[in-house]
Amino acid sequence: MRRGLRRIRRLLTVAAMVVLACTVSLAQTLHLPPHERVVLKNGLTLLLLEKRGVPLVNISAIVKAGAAADPAGEEGLAATTAGLLRKGTKKRSAQQFAADLDYIGGEFEAEAGPDFTTINMEFQTKDFARGLDLYADVLIHPAFPQQEAEKFLAQEIDGVKAAKDDPQSVMMSYYSGYLYGMHPYGHPPAGDEISLKQIRREDAAKFYATNYAPGNTILAVAGEFNAAEMKAKLSEAFGAWESRAVNSAAIPGVVPSKEKRLLLVDKPDASQTYFAIGNTGIAANDPDRVAIRVVNTIFGGRFTSELNEALRVESGYTYGAQSFFDQRKVPGPFVIFSFTKNETTTPAIDLTLQVLAKLHKEGVTQDQLKSAKSYIKGQFPPNIETSRQLARTIATHEFYGLGDDEVNELEARLDAVTPEMARQVIQKHFPAENLLFVLIGKASAIGPAVQKYAANQDTRLLSDPGFWPAPATGKK
Amino acid sequence: MGFGGIWAGVLCATLLSAGGVRGQAEYAVSARTLKNGMKVLVQTDHSIPNVALYIFYRIGSRNERPGTTGLSHFFEHMMFNGAKKYGPGDLDKVMEANGGANNAYTTRDVTVYQDWFPRAALSLIYDIESDRIRDLNFDPQKVKSEREVVASERRLSVDNENGGVLDEQLWATSYIAHPYQWPVIGWMSDIEHWTMEDLKHHFEMGYSPNNATMVVVGDATADEIFRLCETYIEPIPTHPPPPAVTTVEPPQTGERRLIVHKRAELPLLMVGYHVPQSNSSDFYALNILRTILFQGESSRMYQRLVDKDQIALEVTSGLEPSFDPTMVEVVAQPKQGVDPQACEKAIYEEFERVGSAAISDTELEKAKNIRLVEFYRQMRTINGRANTIGTYEVFFGDYNKLFETAKNYSAVTKEDVRRVAKVYFDANNRTVATLLPENAEKAKP
Repeated sequence: MRRGLRRIRRLLTVAAMVVLACTVSLAQTLHLPPHERVVLKNGLTLLLLEKRGVPLVNISAIVKAGAAADPAGEEGLAATTAGLLRKGTKKRSAQQFAADLDYIGGEFEAEAGPDFTTINMEFQTKDFARGLDLYADVLIHPAFPQQEAEKFLAQEIDGVKAAKDDPQSVMMSYYSGYLYGMHPYGHPPAGDEISLKQIRREDAAKFYATNYAPGNTILAVAGEFNAAEMKAKLSEAFGAWESRAVNSAAIPGVVPSKEKRLLLVDKPDASQTYFAIGNTGIAANDPDRVAIRVVNTIFGGRFTSELNEALRVESGYTYGAQSFFDQRKVPGPFVIFSFTKNETTTPAIDLTLQVLAKLHKEGVTQDQLKSAKSYIKGQFPPNIETSRQLARTIATHEFYGLGDDEVNELEARLDAVTPEMARQVIQKHFPAENLLFVLIGKASAIGPAVQKYAANQDTRLLSDPGFWPAPATGKK
Repeated sequence: MGFGGIWAGVLCATLLSAGGVRGQAEYAVSARTLKNGMKVLVQTDHSIPNVALYIFYRIGSRNERPGTTGLSHFFEHMMFNGAKKYGPGDLDKVMEANGGANNAYTTRDVTVYQDWFPRAALSLIYDIESDRIRDLNFDPQKVKSEREVVASERRLSVDNENGGVLDEQLWATSYIAHPYQWPVIGWMSDIEHWTMEDLKHHFEMGYSPNNATMVVVGDATADEIFRLCETYIEPIPTHPPPPAVTTVEPPQTGERRLIVHKRAELPLLMVGYHVPQSNSSDFYALNILRTILFQGESSRMYQRLVDKDQIALEVTSGLEPSFDPTMVEVVAQPKQGVDPQACEKAIYEEFERVGSAAISDTELEKAKNIRLVEFYRQMRTINGRANTIGTYEVFFGDYNKLFETAKNYSAVTKEDVRRVAKVYFDANNRTVATLLPENAEKAKP
């Protein structure tokens, strides 16, 4: 493979979808296919979109509570609640649901991102009645059986350990924990070895009762069907869901890190260092988001970005270097991510900082702006190609209060980005001084050399449970 | 060209009411073989104003030898590092400035180049592709820095990844004669020692137009693609294709076992079984068997290891397309405190159960339904379609076989499934690889 940064992206599935939905653009001739929005009597927002090509239907719900809603000490509760939906309903056992789903070749995923939970199912158009029955059953009537909850939680705890055997896959959990601390965005979305042990089936049932309600849910359906016919069937299936008042707590505001800090996660057998550098970024509805998208494309968002050119193409320090803004309800993280062998750890990080300093000092050129705009426009259409992508796009727009213009007007918005706007967003949104560093690597080999990056340093072992720095280590 | 194409939609609506499996009629492919021997396949789809262009070269790590393992993959990287018209760095810069992106992948059998771009960039892409097929340049500086990039890729995907380490050892142990024994990315010492001569020889050997198949899917007509091919590709001269790989892996006559000791949180288990190549008549029965055993939470292995016995977090199987006899790989992630041998025992018992007793009608139907939906999932994007059409043409000998898959899966009987379970998933035909955490006290029962 020529580009191998897919894994870290995959971990950000939910977040990444949001980024795509909010910031990319396409040619003026392109627009989101027409779709219909209906609010049922019980408060459920229903979005319907016809999409032809393959005989599949995708149902994608957003429940407006995610990992940020996890109570302190019970991180992973939103994910556990989502994971248990299919593990038994009032009329089906977990095994029966699996048998019924697999029989029609259906796919089902339920996962918690920071801002919301998504519950997604896909099946053939000809199996619509069966698929809808299965989907409505798990969304409306989950039973959270004791035995299944115990099994699930035991697996999730081991799952965290398995993930730690692949440093890339846990980098964002360490980074978010270090950057946000006790703010809800510091929660590891899947929980950790300590918090998952605190969760009981009753907690999941309570999280469900508190957050899963028609008025707190957006349900998007896209695929090959007749929308009018579909509306009647969906209204019937979900109209029966009893409405309930929901008091979701708003996610508190975010304060950027005001000092340089470095967390070194020791993996004693590592032959390369994985590093993430940055600070807080922007919210999904930030008015500067299009200009930021353009500048980030130039800086670290594509193969010929400044970062990848410097760290891979010119120096051979790494297989890949990238940067991204994870855009959420309130400002999500901004991250520069790469990895390099132990011996070149400080040269690679020094070079990263130089590229960032150059962005601040020299800005971007007219040619770069033009190229980045073309790139964003050219690469956008495959992001809204499938029913699944379309369902998730319109649902996330609805969640973040963004309209179809997010897609339909983007070419115009991209064209409007001037060098002056680029200069302003660099100054305002790309951190320069108070950087946060998270390194996963062999401490005995790199520890002394990386001390120069921050006066405040924390260390921990990769195998230590959890993702936050142990309170005892504190500042050095 | 905009999104209007989808909403015309009449064609698809008609098909839907017909109720059959979609195939050649709906996803019509046009084929032409150029004078220099390159076969070109085109499937037009105006749903999005983009095009996916794939070039499959029939050269991979099976065409390498000890000392230069990983060369095909390294070469894949070098194909982006400068030719005559588009010098070092130009290919990516020009492509991205015109809205395009690219990637590539290398397997044991093939090297595949992928371009994704708006239709306005069509002739530019042809200009770039013809430049590098005809006149690739080897800049010593680029060879040096790219060698470091590939070493980093190896550290990422193998050395610091337990699955990568164990998989590499499994193939190296399961194969003793055939070139499938070495890793696609190459051994680190080979990565450090390829010479410029090795690279040039590899280009000569593998990159002749008659050793390649081009697949184009998306917002372009067959006529315009064939015209572009006449201009840009057809004049490129042919040269002899790589020599045939004649080594045949001798039958395995007894279980092989290996252990990797490594610092890790959890152990890992992989079991490999030799099976025939993709164009074998047992291919479809093997996949139905794998579906019944491994796919979905109602599958037999999931029910047994994850749900009932609760000894594994995950149990999966893999079978990649191949020219030569290959392996079905079974991967189990044992839970903490579980001896990997407990997972082994359960896996063997489940294989045995298929071989000795009948599977149910429902299980067989379920497997066929899953395979059909999988076909549609491959067909739902221009990218997936380009890759799938090319894979069928190259590994199954004819892209039309893609449209026969539903029929071929339909034809699989319970007896076929029972037979392949018995023939291939035998103790003497397996290689067992176990990763044991070095800090192993925690992982032992």
